[in-house]
Amino acid sequence: MLARIAQELFWLGRDLTRAEHTARMLDGAFHADVGVAPGERGMALSWEGVLVIIGAKPAAPGEEEVQSAPVAQAPGRGEVARLLTLDTETPASIVSCVARARERGRTLRDVISTEMWEALNSSHLALGRYDLQEALRTGPYSVFQEVKERCALFWGLVDRTMLRDEGRSFLEAGGRIEEADMVLRMLRVAVPGEPSDGGHESEALALLRAVGGSQAYRRAVRVGPTLGAVARFLLYDGAYPGSVASSVQALVGALSTADPQPRSSPPVLRLERLIADLELQRRTDDARGKLDDTLARVQTELELVDRDIDDRYFTIAGLAAVHL
Amino acid sequence: MEMTEVRPIEGYRVPQGCRDELLDEDGAPRPHAAPLIATLQRLGPEALQAAGRRRDTIFMQQGITFEVAGTDGERRDRPFPLDLVPRVLTAAEWTTIKRGLAQRIRALNAFVDDVYHAHEIMRAGIVPWSLVVSRPCFARPVHGVRAPGGIYCHVSGCDLVRGGDGRWRVLEDNVRTPSGISYVLENRLAMTRLMPDLFAGHHVRAVDHYPSLLLDALRAVAPAPEGNANVVLWTPGPLNPAYFEHAFLARQMGVELVEASDLVVRDAVCYTRTTSGLQRVHTIYRRLDDDFIDPLEFRPDSLLGVPGLVRAYRAGTVAIANAIGTGVADDKAVYVYVPEMIRFYLGEQPILDNVPTYLLGDERQRKEVVARLGELVVKPTSESGGKGVFIGPQASAAERERQARLIEQRPDQFIAQELVHLSTAPTEVGDGRLAPRHVDLRPFAVFGDEIRIVPGGLTRVALREGSMIVNSSQGGGSKDTWVLDDGTAGELAPATLPTQRPPELPDVRYGGWHGQQQQQQQAALMHGPT
Repeated sequence: MLARIAQELFWLGRDLTRAEHTARMLDGAFHADVGVAPGERGMALSWEGVLVIIGAKPAAPGEEEVQSAPVAQAPGRGEVARLLTLDTETPASIVSCVARARERGRTLRDVISTEMWEALNSSHLALGRYDLQEALRTGPYSVFQEVKERCALFWGLVDRTMLRDEGRSFLEAGGRIEEADMVLRMLRVAVPGEPSDGGHESEALALLRAVGGSQAYRRAVRVGPTLGAVARFLLYDGAYPGSVASSVQALVGALSTADPQPRSSPPVLRLERLIADLELQRRTDDARGKLDDTLARVQTELELVDRDIDDRYFTIAGLAAVHL
Repeated sequence: MEMTEVRPIEGYRVPQGCRDELLDEDGAPRPHAAPLIATLQRLGPEALQAAGRRRDTIFMQQGITFEVAGTDGERRDRPFPLDLVPRVLTAAEWTTIKRGLAQRIRALNAFVDDVYHAHEIMRAGIVPWSLVVSRPCFARPVHGVRAPGGIYCHVSGCDLVRGGDGRWRVLEDNVRTPSGISYVLENRLAMTRLMPDLFAGHHVRAVDHYPSLLLDALRAVAPAPEGNANVVLWTPGPLNPAYFEHAFLARQMGVELVEASDLVVRDAVCYTRTTSGLQRVHTIYRRLDDDFIDPLEFRPDSLLGVPGLVRAYRAGTVAIANAIGTGVADDKAVYVYVPEMIRFYLGEQPILDNVPTYLLGDERQRKEVVARLGELVVKPTSESGGKGVFIGPQASAAERERQARLIEQRPDQFIAQELVHLSTAPTEVGDGRLAPRHVDLRPFAVFGDEIRIVPGGLTRVALREGSMIVNSSQGGGSKDTWVLDDGTAGELAPATLPTQRPPELPDVRYGGWHGQQQQQQQAALMHGPT
């Protein structure tokens, strides 16, 4: 198939999944935010943490001195919600993600099913209907709920109506790599560098809620939600569809289907090594202190996979774009 | 924010002799509730009404409903009536309540143990043995059986009220299968979604760890090797009015929700029937009364029971929470003796008082009660849910006469209590206006290795003006209950994490056909002024 089409499908999957995870994360952060004294909560789901996860990062430790205009105050609920929910100017906002997905869908109408396109288009229109100020004033729970439902509808329609061809594989690959990336980002911000025991339960609960996995966790894991146990669950548990391990597994599946020669595909090979590595970590990783290292390593690896995918499947598209 | 002409709180009149939880006698907000009241006034009545509509939609969607009989007699689902104005307790108030409850529950637990073993308090002449054995909840089949860990009252929910003098009193103990905790958790979640603005300026203690506390307690009493306890929640079935709560707790704890047909006893060991054969059960959190649990020992006509369960319990192979026979401790006639129990078993003075109560079996007390019937409350000893309660000041002469006759016929089946003027709290009464309505408080305690009490509890509110009957089966609603954190929280505060910088994450990518260009542009936007 056309490299351009493949790349657009890949990014359509990514944009939608990013919108969904942003909605889930904001919902979790909203819940965690009310009623907790400042200072009691670590980085996990503070609004600053949310900004870091979504890529609007504050200064790194070394940069503080040279920063010319220091941030006066930590960003608050109103500001972050405005930025990340319905602000069309912010590329990371939910509406921007959905708008991009819909724009891509418009150029892919011959590839995706009509029902998928309509789901995309109506999501975009529905979000445009919300009165920004009103939604923020009364708590944007309904917006988050709508985004989650519409994303689920889209993926359901993919399942029901889209041919199981190369295009679909790229669409799914995009969705899964984005999901793994978002969960990793959340975990890296939430899991403290220095291991400490006890406490953190509300922190851990907030994290689960921000991924939508509270109930799955309760059923799958027999110990109470501590940060370490939750992080392991979200990283390793292959039975939970939103875990990093599951996403990576699905990603390699999608790429292997799309690639006529998966055995010589760098991203596939790299992913298979990553899967084996994750499995090894799961079985040997007992020391809590190592968890943040593992998370960092997995994310670096996933970034390389992302570049590999670009190189193997889309570079031609990129070159063409430059020449346009 | 545009200013609204109408304020939600206007012409607010606290009923004579009552104390309001959030406002003082002059209608000014009490200091601990000042930010909340200010926010309510700022939002105006329209915001409350709009949030009310969203609440009903969300509750219907999520199935948080209860059945009410309509005027035509047909039963239909209504969204659970959550009032949108929270009730606020200070950290100091809560400390008193918490200590008082822990003390009371420890005494009640000791009493249950005593009733089925040594009978010390009866021998000491404090509680008459004849009263104890005549209670319908006295469970002969478990006489001499010691519950695993010596814990009987794993889950309790005592009803507290606050009179006009501002003092907290225990109105009722409930150590069988108290319900309502699911509403505590759902109310909080709903409030954070519906009215997040209200939380501004308050530090409210979290309640969402209750399922973990409960699960820990149920595991702690399990006769099983560490970490291998199989805990199940036993419901009478989907037709039970509290089924929503049973499913909620099972889901939140990640344990199996079982019915009687799922359980089986073989050789004094309890199992569940699973796809891979019988699986041993260690702790049963049961949500049905003693009477129904085992047809071999209790009511033989019970179809909801598991034959042989009491045998397994006696053999110590399974823990049952709450233990069989705890009903003797929350009987309304035994209630009178609880302060004495605290002194007897713990050697302490009760922190929380009883409401002054009269036993009608005593002839002198009975005469006095009948004479003062117009001022007192009379309750049947073995009913719950507000059934059969007689409120003197609201009764007609004919009703008083009828009640007096009932008392003379069966004095043992009633107690009389002084009327407590329940405190009030601002409550939305339609059209977004707030008016005082009477409230009580049911905190939930869990007794495993130690007694843990979730901050706050269920505040029930009588939605009808002047009514003091808060039971949801009789037109009561509920409120989210906040316990403020003043920084001295102690036991349940989340551990303070060291302030740390977030790790450096790679940039979020924006890609696609026009990826590069877009990404640069978007990066510029993102890091620009916000």
